[in-house]
Amino acid sequence: MGNNVLLVDDSSTMRKIVGRSLRQAGIEFDNIYEAADGLQALEMLEKETVDLVLSDINMPNMDGISFLREKANRPNMKNIPVFMISTETGDDIIGEAKSLGAVGAIKKPFTPDMVNAVLGPFLK
Amino acid sequence: MDIGQDIIAATTDVFSTMLGMDLVVGEVVDGAGGEVESNITAMLGLGGDIRGMLAVHCPAAVAMAITSGFLGMDVEELDEDVKDAIGEIANMVAGNLKIAFAGHDLKIELAIPTSIVGQSYRVGGMLGARRAAVPFAMEQGQFLVELKYIVNS
Repeated sequence: MGNNVLLVDDSSTMRKIVGRSLRQAGIEFDNIYEAADGLQALEMLEKETVDLVLSDINMPNMDGISFLREKANRPNMKNIPVFMISTETGDDIIGEAKSLGAVGAIKKPFTPDMVNAVLGPFLK
Repeated sequence: MDIGQDIIAATTDVFSTMLGMDLVVGEVVDGAGGEVESNITAMLGLGGDIRGMLAVHCPAAVAMAITSGFLGMDVEELDEDVKDAIGEIANMVAGNLKIAFAGHDLKIELAIPTSIVGQSYRVGGMLGARRAAVPFAMEQGQFLVELKYIVNS
């Protein structure tokens, strides 16, 4: 059995790149779900079983920080681990993300090896 | 602070990391000039200690080649995927610039990128802004990364 991963990014290109990087990292997946913003991500988490979320920070409608804040208030999803994957790497914003439950961050640009090094320990 | 060199470092890092591509770096333009014929431009606003706009100007062949490299498939028209891909290039270059500027104790915030496609368009300047631009070359042609900026005192 593999993993169910949710990719949250307003760029469809970036969602495809991250998905490909995950596959190239040799991690097995049952499903890779996609959402274009935090609102769509919350809807997806309400209806699908997800083992891990990878989320951008700067997004329209609901950004990654607001998504984390809302997710933390929903008992059915608050324990699903989230990694931020973003150009935002400042201690202040990553610190805020971690205070809201994010377990790590990957900086864009990235390679599949970088993705594997960070996510490998969290996936089956 | 050498903005031209910061643009070079930011851009070459994005292309080498995401596309495994070594770019040929052109001469830094400080001020007017150095335009590259373009069919698509991705723009992203900056605010904070430096305000302004980062733009990536690409001819169609370059934009489609970049997108093809990102997606791992042939791309034959300037569609939404291409607009999105060039927007992400601008986003990642700006993210690297944000880190570089932080090294100079300048804190900036980034907006969400926007891309436009056309045959004949001109991106206007900001009143009182300085401009640094760097042309880069790849197999399919040249593209330009341009920063119009005002350092807030």
